[in-house]
Amino acid sequence: MTAPRHRILLTTEGTYPYVMGGVSSWCDLLIGRLAEFDWQILPVVAPGGRPRLFELPPHAREVGRIEVWSEVLPPRPGWRRRGGDDALPATLTRHLLGWEGSTEAIVEAWRHCREHPALVRPAFRSKAGWHGFLAALREVLDERVPEAGTPPSLDLLEAATLYQTLYWVARTASAPTPETDLLHVTAAGWSAIPAVVHRALHDTPLVLTEHGVYVREAYLAAVRSGDSPGTRFAATRLARGLARVAYAAADVIAPVTEANAHWEVGLGIDPAKILVVPNGLRVPSAPTAPPRTRTVVSVGRLDPLKDALTMLRVAGETLRLAPDAQFLHYGPVPQGQEVYGRSCLQLHEQLRLGDRFRFMGPTDDPHGAMRDADVMLMTSISEGLPMAILEAMGQGRPVVSTGVGGVPDVVRGCGVVRPPGDDHGLAMAVVMLLRNPDLAWRLGRRGHRRLQRLFDESSCIEGYRGLLHTLAGDSPITDAPLVPVEPVAADGDAALPGDRDAAVAVGLTA
Amino acid sequence: MNGAELDPAAAAPIVEARLGRTPQDMLEAAVVLEAWAGVRPERALGAAERLMAEAPDERTVSVSRLPRPAAPPHALRDGLAFLVTVIAIACWASPLTDSLGVSDVRRALTIALPLTLALQWGLRSRFLDQPGGLVELARHRGALLLGPGATVLVGSLALGRAGTLAGLLTVTWVGGTVLLRRDWPVPYVLIILMATGAMATGLAALEVVRAAGVLTTLAVVFALRPRDQTLRPLSPSASRAHLAGRALRSGLIGVGLGLMLVLDRSVSWTSGAVPALALLPSAVAGLWGAAHLRHLEIAILRGLSGVSVDGPETDGQARPALRVIAVAVLRLLGLTAALSAALVLLTPWLGSSARGSGVLAGFGLLALASLLLGLLDSLGGSRWVLVAVAAAAGTEAYIAAARIEPFAGVGLLAGGALAAALVLPAIVLLLSRSARTVATTLWIR
Repeated sequence: MTAPRHRILLTTEGTYPYVMGGVSSWCDLLIGRLAEFDWQILPVVAPGGRPRLFELPPHAREVGRIEVWSEVLPPRPGWRRRGGDDALPATLTRHLLGWEGSTEAIVEAWRHCREHPALVRPAFRSKAGWHGFLAALREVLDERVPEAGTPPSLDLLEAATLYQTLYWVARTASAPTPETDLLHVTAAGWSAIPAVVHRALHDTPLVLTEHGVYVREAYLAAVRSGDSPGTRFAATRLARGLARVAYAAADVIAPVTEANAHWEVGLGIDPAKILVVPNGLRVPSAPTAPPRTRTVVSVGRLDPLKDALTMLRVAGETLRLAPDAQFLHYGPVPQGQEVYGRSCLQLHEQLRLGDRFRFMGPTDDPHGAMRDADVMLMTSISEGLPMAILEAMGQGRPVVSTGVGGVPDVVRGCGVVRPPGDDHGLAMAVVMLLRNPDLAWRLGRRGHRRLQRLFDESSCIEGYRGLLHTLAGDSPITDAPLVPVEPVAADGDAALPGDRDAAVAVGLTA
Repeated sequence: MNGAELDPAAAAPIVEARLGRTPQDMLEAAVVLEAWAGVRPERALGAAERLMAEAPDERTVSVSRLPRPAAPPHALRDGLAFLVTVIAIACWASPLTDSLGVSDVRRALTIALPLTLALQWGLRSRFLDQPGGLVELARHRGALLLGPGATVLVGSLALGRAGTLAGLLTVTWVGGTVLLRRDWPVPYVLIILMATGAMATGLAALEVVRAAGVLTTLAVVFALRPRDQTLRPLSPSASRAHLAGRALRSGLIGVGLGLMLVLDRSVSWTSGAVPALALLPSAVAGLWGAAHLRHLEIAILRGLSGVSVDGPETDGQARPALRVIAVAVLRLLGLTAALSAALVLLTPWLGSSARGSGVLAGFGLLALASLLLGLLDSLGGSRWVLVAVAAAAGTEAYIAAARIEPFAGVGLLAGGALAAALVLPAIVLLLSRSARTVATTLWIR
């Protein structure tokens, strides 16, 4: 008799299967390799249909889409019950935005939304809903918690914008989910909402994988946005509120790197809930020798988190010392980052980089792109465990990167890590490796071996296979070790990536 | 930098230098320390918590940034297209009357005007003013092709030649609305100008209108071909029931406005081109006034920006929006008066008797009522709009039935004035609490 096939509901947020990127590649890999499960994909997306960029295997299907800020209206309430739950906007405000809001109260409110989807719109369109919201917002703004700082005084336009956002949170909670045996959430934000409600209704186990840390990235986006204090406050508190609920509901939180785990512990999660499952890559058998054309390759979206402006400045400084170097950047300008994309082009022109720095657009052959490199460069200010670095290591190329997220742990011994925004330090590292190709090749091969040892695709897959089968109630079918989180970094003070004095090159000193 | 040694005194300058201000909370401080100073997360979080414990308790007053105003619509081009078509269609009155007789043309217009306005309002509400609505409309290929034919057929079967003409005029005018919304004014204007030229050369007027209706329908079908890449893609629609209800309400408002146009018996639509041309001043002025209302959205938001949630909700919120509305109304009334005066002077030259300043004033008030009714409808007051339109049309009907005719256009004046008087206070009320209106109505549709 064959074992029953378990169904997994995978919820995504602005990624798989509609957007290319690290999270989407990870989803594609996981779904493709774990064919013993029936995967049900529920993406949370922005309105305006996009073509699907990933072909789903036969054991996976999309079970709908949750469009936020769309023109799609919810079902109408029946004639007998026209009014909504007018307390809903106030409840969400108080507990999602309040520093010490109750996650149970939010789950209960979301559950009510799911059970009465037709009442969400009337609640938010009602006079009582609006006035309740304002009263709850004033309460939140009057909170005084030392670590929470003093909230700014929002204006009415910011309040109305927040009200609309909360409406969409409630609408997302009201969206139906199919029957499933396991819930797998890919970010502790909007995509967690339907899964959390499903768990509350059916007690289905929930796994949360965090590639970046949702709260951290929301704060970074807010800091860089140039928005008003009220807008920043609303965006970050909402992200924090959503993440708190996701963390509370999750049975297992699986960050891709220990660095993320430290954030999660810092956000109040019980370390016992956390299991680090590092990303993995199928390791090519043997790396090919670098081309020795003084080519520096970078891969990533042109958005503020990738800090492409620093990358351009690094290129500018490198080219002053190594004029025959060339930089190739692969990656799209994502939707909504067009202004940032233009600012990159302006800086490119200002620095007169010309053909020495070329924007190559998206690539569907990142391995090939890395093979053409002598050095791989990454200047992000936020990362989990970036696939681009694993791809560089897979091709035996040394990495020069900012020390964010899990990067220092990955690059240790096979590259150079500098603090974020340190364009001079990054440029010096690039120049050093371009001028010492033998050293670069040695570091690259060391990276290849490190990848085989620690970040092999099979380890990642087996890690999830074991985790998902265990949560589904099967006996564990793999002995692949999961890495429990250490509350404090176990090693590497000397190799702290941010230590400007000590760590010129983590790899070189390792 | 070794995070273990990072005390608040060391962390604070780093964070404030990067942010240019004190951090909002410990998470923001921690993110800055990690992302821009390379401090490991666990240490950044610890340092940030200690830093916030010493932060001053000063509340920042936030002033939100206004969104960029939307690009202005092609107001001039669309206005010109409208002007040309109104003048051209006004020129159809004489040939049509000569060909079909006054009675048939009058009956046709009495049906066509309310029906056209109903369909225009309904289509705008259901499709044309909805994001992606044109794509949705394009999916109704069968209705786009068969609907016009059915309209004409039903009209013919019910009322003979008058019904045929009513159907054809409706199809042409409604098709023109779709083409203008689709940014295709040139084909529509060309069709109307060709039809006008054909009538001037003495071709059978009904056949010319039939050709215009067919060509307009084909132009609409072609303009809305589903593979057209310039049409915005649409979200999957689960909203049809809602939108259908809205479209029905808008259609009823359109019917009411159409009835207001035709219920005043002192206005003849069949005595040459002048009666139709009498619509021109108010129609052009209405377009000019409505064009100014594109500033309304930003004005409403400006009224909310910087008004603290701690204060009373009505403090000065409405002023910027009311200023925009006042300018729009002044534009409409002023231009109506100026163009009407010009028309009165030109009428003898056009060779027909003027309908008197009462009719022109009546059309002016009707245009004002239309502007305000549309505005209130867009602010979410469609039920009250229906009430106002019904009251205005009822008043006109009563005046017509009671044969109260102290001067031409009295019905239009009374109806228009009543509708405007009924909706204006509702608009002011909604704008005086514009935060709630924006939050609960405009942004949660």
